[in-house]
Amino acid sequence: MDHHQQYFSPPPHHHDSVSANTWPSVLLMEAAHAVAEKNHHRLKHLMWLLNELSSPYGDTNQKLSAYFLQSLFTCIMDSGDRCYQILSSAADKMLSFESTRNMELKFQEVSPWTTFGHVACNGAIMEAFNGKTKLHIIDVSTTYCTQWPTFMDAIATGTDQTPHLRLTTVIAAKFCGAGVQKVMREISHRMEKFARLMGVPFKLNVLHHSGDLSELNMKRLDIQDDEALAINLNGTFRSVCSHRRDHLLSMFHGLNPNILTIVEEEADLNMGSFNGFEFLKGFQECLRWFRVYFEALDESFPTTSSQRLMLERSAGRAVMNLVACSPEESVERRETAAKWSSRLHACGFSPVRCRDEVSDDVVALLRRYREGWSTNTAETVAGIFLRWKETPVVWASAWKPI
Amino acid sequence: MLEKLIAEEAITPNGFTHINNPEAEVIALSPKTLMATNRFLCEICGKGFQRDQNLQLHRRGHNLPWKLKQRTTKEVRKRVYVCPEKSCVHNHPSRALGDLTGIKKHFCRKHGEKKWKCAKCSKCYAVQSDWKAHSKTCGTREYKCDCGTIFSRRDSFITHRAFCDALAEETARVTAASHFNNVTPAAVGNVNYHFVGPPVLAGPTMAQHFSSIFKPISANRPENHLDSTRQGALSLWTSTDNNNDNNDHDNLQDMHQLDPVLYADPHQNHPPPSHYQSNWGVFGVKTTSDHEVNVSAPSLFSTQNESHQTHPTSSMSATALLQKAAQMGSTSSATTNHSSFLGSFGLKANSNITTATATLVQNENKFCGLYGANPMMNGVLGNDLENEFSSLEQLQMYPPSKRRHIQIDQEHHSGNNGGQTRDFLGVGIQPICHPRMRFDHV
Repeated sequence: MDHHQQYFSPPPHHHDSVSANTWPSVLLMEAAHAVAEKNHHRLKHLMWLLNELSSPYGDTNQKLSAYFLQSLFTCIMDSGDRCYQILSSAADKMLSFESTRNMELKFQEVSPWTTFGHVACNGAIMEAFNGKTKLHIIDVSTTYCTQWPTFMDAIATGTDQTPHLRLTTVIAAKFCGAGVQKVMREISHRMEKFARLMGVPFKLNVLHHSGDLSELNMKRLDIQDDEALAINLNGTFRSVCSHRRDHLLSMFHGLNPNILTIVEEEADLNMGSFNGFEFLKGFQECLRWFRVYFEALDESFPTTSSQRLMLERSAGRAVMNLVACSPEESVERRETAAKWSSRLHACGFSPVRCRDEVSDDVVALLRRYREGWSTNTAETVAGIFLRWKETPVVWASAWKPI
Repeated sequence: MLEKLIAEEAITPNGFTHINNPEAEVIALSPKTLMATNRFLCEICGKGFQRDQNLQLHRRGHNLPWKLKQRTTKEVRKRVYVCPEKSCVHNHPSRALGDLTGIKKHFCRKHGEKKWKCAKCSKCYAVQSDWKAHSKTCGTREYKCDCGTIFSRRDSFITHRAFCDALAEETARVTAASHFNNVTPAAVGNVNYHFVGPPVLAGPTMAQHFSSIFKPISANRPENHLDSTRQGALSLWTSTDNNNDNNDHDNLQDMHQLDPVLYADPHQNHPPPSHYQSNWGVFGVKTTSDHEVNVSAPSLFSTQNESHQTHPTSSMSATALLQKAAQMGSTSSATTNHSSFLGSFGLKANSNITTATATLVQNENKFCGLYGANPMMNGVLGNDLENEFSSLEQLQMYPPSKRRHIQIDQEHHSGNNGGQTRDFLGVGIQPICHPRMRFDHV
């Protein structure tokens, strides 16, 4: 029993966010080590233990433990791809306009996680579209068009003559479910009505593309020469297969947009296959990242919130996808701002500096939320960051083709 | 000195006169002179003043003989000023403004650099007094959606509005009531915005407030109703800042001309005003300020409400509104501070949670199957695990709340091992599959 005693020595009593010392991190990293070393016996111990302690309805530790344990188990059972598909289609069946809207809008009400990107990008797009009368925005995002009402408001009130706005929303998913299509239909109606209310000449086209975004047929975007073009990628670039990212950027470059805006979460999750050392490194970063996310969610929402639960379960699916799915199938492989930037530079884009007015708008936005959020520009990389308690979490930047 | 200035720079073209005062002297100052701070110079000591009144006051201090105390100029003619900006409408003498301060402000607002910025919302102004006025009201404004939810932030109001169910209903009603002549759906939609400002609104501020809302839908301007519609959308969306320049005094005149019937369906009867007073009470939005307001105001408010409900289905919507208000009251008391948003969805908030729970249960049960699937590891660890378990407890690894949870499961283990779902480790796996919502842990 001796080695067990040694193994299960109690971790230091930390209740702060020094994440590596929390019991899920300790146990989960040990389990990951056991997976990498193929130590089945120890793995069983750990997984049993984690199982006892986990709950998706508990505190942050218990939740993290639950989702990571589930993913780790699926990983060693080698059923990650199939399991993820089941989870995704189950989630899609549950999708409804009301639940989606409630979740998105509540999230935006309690946390700047998504509104930060909206404000920053809308500011950059407005600047790029200054003086133009026909606008076309290609919107590839995860926020169900909630970015655009305030944009419409800005063009309706900020300019003497309201320009025409055409919005092409692209929903790219490996499995294009009926649920999301239904939701997008309803969203289309609402957006069109709202545009009429605002007095904005508006046309919305929703494209559903099943498969990798990099395989989208650009002709479907219906680019017109007499329109100013903006490409807005909010939280979707990470879904592109790792070795196809540069190709997609080149294709976008070929469309010659006036501006390309990109919002991504700041994490280094483009890890390799699960046998190597990279797996451990990736797993650790995965733990770190989702802890930050879950903690931010926990402190933003009220204690019992169905919207937060939806977001957590979505994050749980993301964890599954990262830990258990093969790299080709993974759609959650975030990269750091530095890495995205070097890709963009390599593909012929140069950064557009964030105007003072826009960063002021962001500061004003953050003032309306709880304590803990801040923003900064990085010296070494273009764009601006949203920070949660000093940790950069979301990166927003604007680029133009050179 | 003043005459000298005018002689050097003024162009008084023949044949053009100011529209209101044909005898007025039209003065065109260069931008530099216009913005100069000390245009009025004392001939005795050379000191400069912003206003003629200040100069006169100062001159008194020089103890001048009686004769020289008087104004040295010829009989004072009404002066009107044109805007130096050539592309501006006010550049033409017929559109000159009578007030020097007014033309200064206009020039800054329209053609000047916006140097003054609000700290709260980062909105920029060219004129300092505009900025000051805005800062006073910034953040205090409330935006109220048709569904009853109130927002203090404009951007969250707009985003909510775009997806609000009230929007979907409203536009359906609008198309049904399509006998509004010469008014676009956008204009009609605008009417339904309740622009609830700070409670105390009196006199001219109130007039401006209303005029900016009413301006677009004026039936008196059929010729460019589309433009005024858009402008109306503009003035509805923007706050009632003073920088809605010289349109303001036009609006005041309009307002007096406006018939309160304007917004109602022309074919509909007006319900008695008392009905609407009580409506406000139910919503609890406007408190006592109805009484503080101009006599004309309550009817204007009520016409706003009225138009919201004037169409064939109006009898239902009044009830629906009252219901919503009641819901809003009940949900807001039951929920936390952050749930004004949820309040807009009324009872739905609670039902969402129960639906979510139900589906979670279904899903978790599905996943139990995954865990139970592997036959390989059943019962392998048996005894070892129980030994492990006791030593673990002793090590006090878990936070106190966990211990309680473990205790309960221990009972389950010893009691009912046979009946439970077995996982690959041969132990019950309730923690993940159990449908209980364990809020006591939070």
